[in-house]
Amino acid sequence: MTLNTKELIRYQRQMLINNWGEGGQEKLRSSTVFIAGAGGLGSPVAIYLTAAGIGQIRICDFGKPELSNLNRQILHAESDIEKNKALSARETLFNINPHVNVVPLTVKLTENTVDELVGESDIILDCLDNFDTRHILNQYAVQKKLPMVHAGIHGLSGQITFIHSPETPCLHCIFPGSTPNQIFPVAGVTPGVIGVLEALEAIKWILGIGVNLKGKLLTWDGELMEFCKIEIKKDPNCPVCG
Amino acid sequence: MSKPSSKPLTENEKIRYHRQMIFPGWGEKTQEKLKKSRVFVAGAGGLGSPVSLYLAVAGTGVIRICDFGEPELSNLNRQILHDDSRIGKNKALSAKETIERINPDVKVEPLKDKITRESVSFLVGEVDLIIDCLDNFDTRHILNRYAVQNSIPMIHAGVYGMQGQLTFIKTPETPCLWCINAGSPPPVVFPIVGATAGVMGCVQALEAIKYLSGIGSNLLGTLLIWDGTSMEFNHLPQKKTPDCPVCGDAL
Repeated sequence: MTLNTKELIRYQRQMLINNWGEGGQEKLRSSTVFIAGAGGLGSPVAIYLTAAGIGQIRICDFGKPELSNLNRQILHAESDIEKNKALSARETLFNINPHVNVVPLTVKLTENTVDELVGESDIILDCLDNFDTRHILNQYAVQKKLPMVHAGIHGLSGQITFIHSPETPCLHCIFPGSTPNQIFPVAGVTPGVIGVLEALEAIKWILGIGVNLKGKLLTWDGELMEFCKIEIKKDPNCPVCG
Repeated sequence: MSKPSSKPLTENEKIRYHRQMIFPGWGEKTQEKLKKSRVFVAGAGGLGSPVSLYLAVAGTGVIRICDFGEPELSNLNRQILHDDSRIGKNKALSAKETIERINPDVKVEPLKDKITRESVSFLVGEVDLIIDCLDNFDTRHILNRYAVQNSIPMIHAGVYGMQGQLTFIKTPETPCLWCINAGSPPPVVFPIVGATAGVMGCVQALEAIKYLSGIGSNLLGTLLIWDGTSMEFNHLPQKKTPDCPVCGDAL
């Protein structure tokens, strides 16, 4: 189906980008993304993918917003405390762009649920806060040959890479273990910067515009505003993608 | 004009800002500094949206946000302060609604006038920092001149397509905007995706928070150039123009 008049106006400014046009906008509209986590990273990721006109957003979080989340999780407000985060996300996203079909998933992501939760998504966005769950998602992405944008944050620093096995290393090649879960410092703008970059990497991949961060880990130190690209290699003995 | 609160943090605020206060060097004192701060956000569009939202969730005391326009349907791919229901309202008023919902502790002063040579002084008022979220250089140069004359630091950002640039201006220490970008390109309808303004706006908000809190270092005398298609970030050192008509020594 071609874009209707309202959509043509709404997306006019981005369709002016080289190689975007109506064809690109239709590609976005026929795409489904899986966003793992509706927290600090998931907020800007979901908001900017929604504003861009993605067809379907599957957003997954089993938690509830807490007051101490609100310095960074801009999908949620004080009135959303005690709601499920995925449901709260759907409300916010519907206001931002009613054309987008938001599917809230309120179940915890585990080895048993991952297949049903990711469903028919074209790309996975890792907006998680722990490596145990990330490795479950990574294993699934490798098996299904789905691209996955990984991001992580701490304090005023962050990292992001585009994983698409077998072309690139998988998350296990880069970070084989899991760090113990702990309360770490974070300001809102940190997941803001890294999350919006994740959204842009997904848009670029869907549209086939530009070059994704494949085999490269972008690390960012916000205190000094320094960005660095590190080459990453496949682990030949990787138990996940080797 | 609202005064930023000089009261200590409430129990509610200590919980809300806990995760950033545990950052080394932040703590309650820094959070109180933020609470006492006043910033001027020029423009409630693609850049002004993430800037004001992230300054609000960080607990900035007073946000003066200025825009004379109204949200249009073609703005909504990037201006996340607004939605379909706000079309036809003033952008600064729409911004106030969104920001106060996201953090009721922050005071928002909406300013519905156009920034001109005549109105700039009244609009900016007494602030600690100016954030340039504008879409044209004519108005930027009015703001730059005012910032230079009144020794107010200004964070400049500009976006185009999937590219952006950003610098922290603090004269006489750094070049001013005129030194970096003399003149004004003719205003045109240019390509832009929301995420471009999102990235640059979040970086602007962080530069603001670092300045207001005294954490880290700012992009002083350095232009950050970003190409989102290749994800390349570059730092370009900037020099003062000795005979700059805005910040030059001859003045």
